[in-house]
Amino acid sequence: MKRRIKRILIDLIVLALGFLGLLSPFIFPQANSAATQGATFPIMISLIIVLCLFIVLFEAQTSLIDNKIMAFLGVLIAINAGLRFLENAIPGPAGFSPVFFLIILTGYFFGSRLGFLMGAMTLFVSALITGGVGPWLPGQMITAGWVGQSAALLKATVDIFKWEGRPIELILLSGFGAFWGFLFGAIMNLWFWPFLGAGQGQGFLQSAGFSQNVQRYTAYYLATSLIWDASRAVGNVIILAALSRPVLKILSRFKLRFSFQHREQSTT
Amino acid sequence: MKTAVAWMLWLITCMVFILSTRNPIYIMVVLLNLLILGNHLAKKKRNNEWLKHNTFFLLTMIGLSTIINSLFAHSGRNILFTLPKGWPLIGGNITLESLVYGAINGLVISALYLLFNILNLSLQIKQLTRLIPRAFHPIAMMVTIALTFFPSIQQRAQEIKEAQIIRGNPMKKMQDWIPILIPLLVTSLENAIQLSESMTARGYHVQVNKNTNLSLVGLVFGAFSIFSAWILQLYNYPEGILFVLYILGGLIILLTLLHSGKQRTSTQYYKEQWGFSDLTGAVFMSVYLLAYISLLSYNKLPSLFYSPYPNLSFPPLQLLGLLFSVLSIFPLFLSFND
Repeated sequence: MKRRIKRILIDLIVLALGFLGLLSPFIFPQANSAATQGATFPIMISLIIVLCLFIVLFEAQTSLIDNKIMAFLGVLIAINAGLRFLENAIPGPAGFSPVFFLIILTGYFFGSRLGFLMGAMTLFVSALITGGVGPWLPGQMITAGWVGQSAALLKATVDIFKWEGRPIELILLSGFGAFWGFLFGAIMNLWFWPFLGAGQGQGFLQSAGFSQNVQRYTAYYLATSLIWDASRAVGNVIILAALSRPVLKILSRFKLRFSFQHREQSTT
Repeated sequence: MKTAVAWMLWLITCMVFILSTRNPIYIMVVLLNLLILGNHLAKKKRNNEWLKHNTFFLLTMIGLSTIINSLFAHSGRNILFTLPKGWPLIGGNITLESLVYGAINGLVISALYLLFNILNLSLQIKQLTRLIPRAFHPIAMMVTIALTFFPSIQQRAQEIKEAQIIRGNPMKKMQDWIPILIPLLVTSLENAIQLSESMTARGYHVQVNKNTNLSLVGLVFGAFSIFSAWILQLYNYPEGILFVLYILGGLIILLTLLHSGKQRTSTQYYKEQWGFSDLTGAVFMSVYLLAYISLLSYNKLPSLFYSPYPNLSFPPLQLLGLLFSVLSIFPLFLSFND
């Protein structure tokens, strides 16, 4: 119980810090001023997100003390990073990436901690492999981590209503995939957007209120990345609807094999 | 230069310069230097397409940034043409100033992108993995496992796919991927079980860190301190307070990570060799960085700031600024020595 409270507390702190950072142009209007900020905004946000990642990873790695879980997650991450290369091979709309499929299912089946690790580390490993390490990486890592983490909430809902194995479980999972398809794009754009719009009386208006800035962001989002995100959402729906049943079956089989514990014999 | 530390110093120095200037000419000089350096490094790796791909990508990025900015921002005196006011958000004047502003933003983003691209080119994957702090050793172990398994999993996926194609799998619908994904998952997870058993048999065991709670408090406190310093900086608080907060936060995080990393002993299978060029590079970059920061904080540097508002003018050029902007090519000269 104590451990659980600690985890929830850590999650809340990280969520608050991460979102305060990402949403700072909405909340603190000065974040947008080119005179005080220059081009440092994306880098400062990345730094703050790296610190958030430090906190949550430090806590999450306490669930990795078992060799079996470590090997299991490592291999799953390798498979998922490999799926990223199959992007062109798997039939689907442009901009669609199968990478979220296993992240969502891992979070759904193994709980929030492993889901977070799966999401964050998949993007880290595939960035290492493809040579995509950059200031955008921390943002991608933490958002993908949140994808996996929030899938655990879905599982809780399914458990409460005893929907397991029913068609509604698949519908919920697909809907969840669609939701994150859009939200991932929206969060990743936040990292970048005050920088693009910074300037005199532009994108972000310093004098403008919260709601007006939100309106402007929505317009910007609709104009730049909606099509991209929509195809990702559609792709997620298709892949989750088609593949999650058999994959969940496999995962549940391996869960039994991976979750046994060695216990020291008490010497009397 | 081959060591990760020297390259990281180079990255930080160049990044500090790029982020503190908005003068398009300096940034263009930096971009040009980075392109030359990157082309040289890519050619060494027999990647002859690098220059073509990246030039195309950068031009697209700068172009997009220019167009987006001009559509969303309408202030400025030099009006090129006017879109009907009735159009939501994009309606209004298209001005020369907003085009220039967008282009400068695009230049800064391109320079940052190229910096990291070159870092990826010059460092090997195992060097990047080593940069993970030792406090995160279970994570680093997991990353290493994933990186080790990646090639064999790729190969296996290819084999299963070929076997399926021979059996007449059309590979058109999503369902056709089930017979590929499932065997791939099953065989790879079987491998994972074997791996974990051999890890246990060889005595690999992650020790439970006793001070996790204290370290967590330290990390949270440090992150909070840096975050609040940044917010206060936005509101132009006195520099003394900011300085104390930044240093305090940084120190707490550093000490926490060092302390919890120290409890873990590790052996090094592969040790980086510091050569002449690494040492020269590292020393040179540190001196440059220190000089730059001290000049910057005493306001001795010529103004690096440039804005197309309120009057569009040609950006000022000074020798010192140019001198700082050619720094990014420095590893190229060292590479002849390697």
